[in-house]
Amino acid sequence: MIEMLQLPFMQRALLTGLLLGLLLAALGIFVSLKRMSFYSDGMAHAALAGAAIGLLTRSDPLLAALVFGALLAVLIFFLERKSNLPIDSIIGIMFTSGMALGIVLISFRQGYQPELLSFLFGNILAIRGRDLALIAVVALPLLGFIYLQRRKLTLLALDREMAHMAGFNPDAYQLLLYVFLALALVLGLRVLGVVLVSAVLIIPVSTARLLCRSFKALARWTFLLSEVTVIGGLLLAYRFDLPASGVIVLLGTALFALAFAWNALRRRRQRSPAFPDEPKG
Amino acid sequence: MDPVLEVKNLTVRFTSGIALNRVSFTIEKQGIIAVIGPNGSGKTTLLKAILGLVPYQGEIRVFSLPVRQVLSQLGYVPQRFSFDASFPLTVEEFISLTCRSPERLPVGRVLETVGMTAFKGKLIGELSGGQLQRVLLAHALLHRPRILFLDEATSGIDIEGLSDFYSTIYRLNREHGVTILMVSHELSMVYKYADRILCLNRDLVSHGETRETLSREVLKKLYGEAVDFQAHSHAGSGADVHD
Repeated sequence: MIEMLQLPFMQRALLTGLLLGLLLAALGIFVSLKRMSFYSDGMAHAALAGAAIGLLTRSDPLLAALVFGALLAVLIFFLERKSNLPIDSIIGIMFTSGMALGIVLISFRQGYQPELLSFLFGNILAIRGRDLALIAVVALPLLGFIYLQRRKLTLLALDREMAHMAGFNPDAYQLLLYVFLALALVLGLRVLGVVLVSAVLIIPVSTARLLCRSFKALARWTFLLSEVTVIGGLLLAYRFDLPASGVIVLLGTALFALAFAWNALRRRRQRSPAFPDEPKG
Repeated sequence: MDPVLEVKNLTVRFTSGIALNRVSFTIEKQGIIAVIGPNGSGKTTLLKAILGLVPYQGEIRVFSLPVRQVLSQLGYVPQRFSFDASFPLTVEEFISLTCRSPERLPVGRVLETVGMTAFKGKLIGELSGGQLQRVLLAHALLHRPRILFLDEATSGIDIEGLSDFYSTIYRLNREHGVTILMVSHELSMVYKYADRILCLNRDLVSHGETRETLSREVLKKLYGEAVDFQAHSHAGSGADVHD
């Protein structure tokens, strides 16, 4: 174990996992409360086009995907405001269009594309120093903002009119939430890939919901479960020489299954029999 | 003394049509004011326009100031509060979910005011309709509002709870000087508790002192024959609107 922690790529991977675990947990709480799982999944897929633009223009694909994701979030926000279409239709259009654009753009590059594969399936062990620096530069201010504005963000996720009555602009905070989610998901692409990144956003908070009976407890458990999932999954993947993204998500799913079983057992114990033994004959 | 609320030529248009048409009125002094009218008459829209929740044309001033400047002095209990009922959020946590300010009352005190102290640790998703409305009222009271807007806040409350709810509202007005502007279908409660009424049917049909304005003629104008109202002189009598 000590030997593993001395490896530079493992140190970068663990630091990346720690940061992303915190960021995705923090945003996951609002995603769960505001029922934005589809937005998260759609944004992760659509951001592939941003990475493809970065690769084609020989610029940093992670940086290009961040800019593309943020712009897409702004576009979704304005389409939601200016059209009568439901938000899931708008996200559905953006999700498939972004993915389609990514596929077309990728076709312009010939040969094997290892960097692109890392965006599709994630590769936390291939995180470079500059990737980690970019992740830290984006994630730390976002975490600070979310911590300072947690009451407003929770109120917004709960009820838009109440947010307005609390004296802040719900539209501005909604836009910020969309952009922050896009940025966090794009950062997670390098670790978990397009297909799996939203799992770390959704699974820890869903597991916590099965275990907790207060918002305070939910927040603590979500952070704990998110870190256990990401760091634990990474260590397990290294130990058994398995793909890290898959192991991280499977560990999260296993914890969810355990919480589900525990919750079902607890409910069964609490429930008194509705129909006591009926008299025979 | 500044009037509590001035509304001039208020018009609200939605894609489906006009919800409010050039409505003007002034509420000079504090009291309990009821907004009545049939479904779709613009009662909720009126409240939302005053609070800046829907775009409008016209002029609205509260204590002679634009609403934006006095928003912290207004409380609002919505008609419906749709949230994820399975989300673990306790009553105490929900009420605390508002920005801290020096004027903020302790959570325990507002819960006591609405008779919900015993429910502090309960999840909001596990409350009955009436209990939830009381919690929403407590939330609205946290910043010591000078005007409280209630949009059919008693929907989901049983007959016994209804009287308690209105008694709380009455106490807030008479003992704490909070002006109440409430949308209600319960004409008997309106007759018993409201000082003034606004009769709305997209246009302002009538407004004034409750006992003078709540006549059979005005009600027939609003609801047609669907209302059976007996305005006896003693409080608490009368009937409600049957939709």
